[in-house]
Amino acid sequence: MQSPVIEVLGLSKSYGPVHAVKDVSFSVGSGEIVGLLGPNGAGKTTIMKILSCYLFPTRGTARVNGHDVFQAPVAVKECVGYLPENAPLYPDLTVREYLEFIADARRLSGAARRERMDIVIGECGLEAVVNRGIDELSKGFRQRTGLAQVLLHDPRILILDEPTSGLDPHQIVEIRELIKRLGREKTVILSTHILQEVEATCQRILILNEGRIAAQGTREELEGTLKGEVLLDVTFKGGGAEAGARGLVEIAGVRKVISVRALSADAAAVRLSLAPDGGAEERIFDWAVSRGLRIVAMVPQRLSLEDIFITLTENVPSEGGAQ
Amino acid sequence: MRMTPIAAKELKAAFNSPIAYIVTVAYLVFTSVWLFFLNQFFSHNEASLRIYFAVIPTVFIFLVPALTMRSWAEERRTGTLEVLLTLPFREGEVVLGKFLGCFSLLCIVVALSIPLPLSLAPLGRFDWGQVAGEYLGVLFIGTAGIALGLFVSSLSTNQITSFILSGLALLAFTLVNQLNLLVTLPPWLAALVNWVSFGSHYDSFRRGVLDSRDVLFFLLAIGAFLLLNVQVLLRRKWS
Repeated sequence: MQSPVIEVLGLSKSYGPVHAVKDVSFSVGSGEIVGLLGPNGAGKTTIMKILSCYLFPTRGTARVNGHDVFQAPVAVKECVGYLPENAPLYPDLTVREYLEFIADARRLSGAARRERMDIVIGECGLEAVVNRGIDELSKGFRQRTGLAQVLLHDPRILILDEPTSGLDPHQIVEIRELIKRLGREKTVILSTHILQEVEATCQRILILNEGRIAAQGTREELEGTLKGEVLLDVTFKGGGAEAGARGLVEIAGVRKVISVRALSADAAAVRLSLAPDGGAEERIFDWAVSRGLRIVAMVPQRLSLEDIFITLTENVPSEGGAQ
Repeated sequence: MRMTPIAAKELKAAFNSPIAYIVTVAYLVFTSVWLFFLNQFFSHNEASLRIYFAVIPTVFIFLVPALTMRSWAEERRTGTLEVLLTLPFREGEVVLGKFLGCFSLLCIVVALSIPLPLSLAPLGRFDWGQVAGEYLGVLFIGTAGIALGLFVSSLSTNQITSFILSGLALLAFTLVNQLNLLVTLPPWLAALVNWVSFGSHYDSFRRGVLDSRDVLFFLLAIGAFLLLNVQVLLRRKWS
């Protein structure tokens, strides 16, 4: 594996007596899309503010593209595009004036500047509003203008704080597609408290709770760390299906019969818990045949991200990061 | 040092909103009304703009905070400070950019007032050297006020608070030398009060005296407030 683009070691941040982030370490490789997921106040925004050099950490270090946030903040800022929460913009400027300012600040000039301006205006769908004042824009266009600002200098790293908040479902899908497309060549960190969002866009997930990393990994890895039992819903048809179903527990690989529900006189839906090593499905089939039952449906149930999230973040006070 | 992008943005934002126009018009209207109406310039029958320049520090107590009140307070309130400070600038460059933006605005306002003395020129023999010195004094006291106003704005999240606090601070710095007229202070304190007062240094310019000590004082004051402003930005990163 290449050396990581973002490396965070023992990071802590306190706002006075409030410890927002506590001893967080993780790294992000080139071209990864990583989602920071957690309830409000879990420390997602604080981590992003540190990585974009808006705040210094209280303890620990962070390196972005090989540059330390303490020693070379300007170098870090140069290779990062940071979209703060709610995409703050200057209301007194037009979209074009705003992007011109960002281009000046990012030292873009000449043909490259014109080309980048055209690309981001097109990519973010801003053609219709470039000459409008930002104070007249709808929430969706404001968010897109914010994204255009982030993308203008074609940064290697994108840090997006709740990039889809406040958008309508249609716009959310558009922005997610854009992020996925960008993620093919860029490293992206995005934060959200919406589970479907990480499911839809991110390759790797960091679940934060009360300023600490509660779990991290790909979706599958997270399911694994929870020792996720494999759930299987089977529907049998044939006489005595309901009565016989309890006997399924005799089969090797079936841990437990969770529930048996009669659908009609000769049909029953059964939920089973299986050992993760597999093979039980075939034995269940043979078992059904030997008893003259037919299997109408066999549906494996995945543990949803929601289940994982709730398991990891429950039993905590709702204040989240405060204390 | 890269400060022109921020200065240009500040100027654009100021002229896209009513604030720049209001400040300019208020300055021109008030100073003219003061000179011709309240002070009956023509009845003095004197080819001097002494009266005109006497009122400018007082006008600045209200106008300079109006120029600077938004600069940091509004960035904080709307959250754009996060965008600004994560662009590849050093803190000093951001402060100087803001300062340069406000300074340019002040220069524009002052430049627009130049037709007034010019229109009076045919009426008498003005001492143009003195008028030039007076204009220089106006720029210095205004610029020092901007540095002070920006510093106060960096401490506030609300532009009204910023306006009132910088107005009060500017009032204190401008008129503190008047204390010597009211009470008898120990000589060292009297000298100190005189030295820190924007007003007393401005008065030397008004007398047509171009003293390097006054220039140095204003440059020191401007530098000190800008440094304090940079410190506010740096400390914020740690908080």
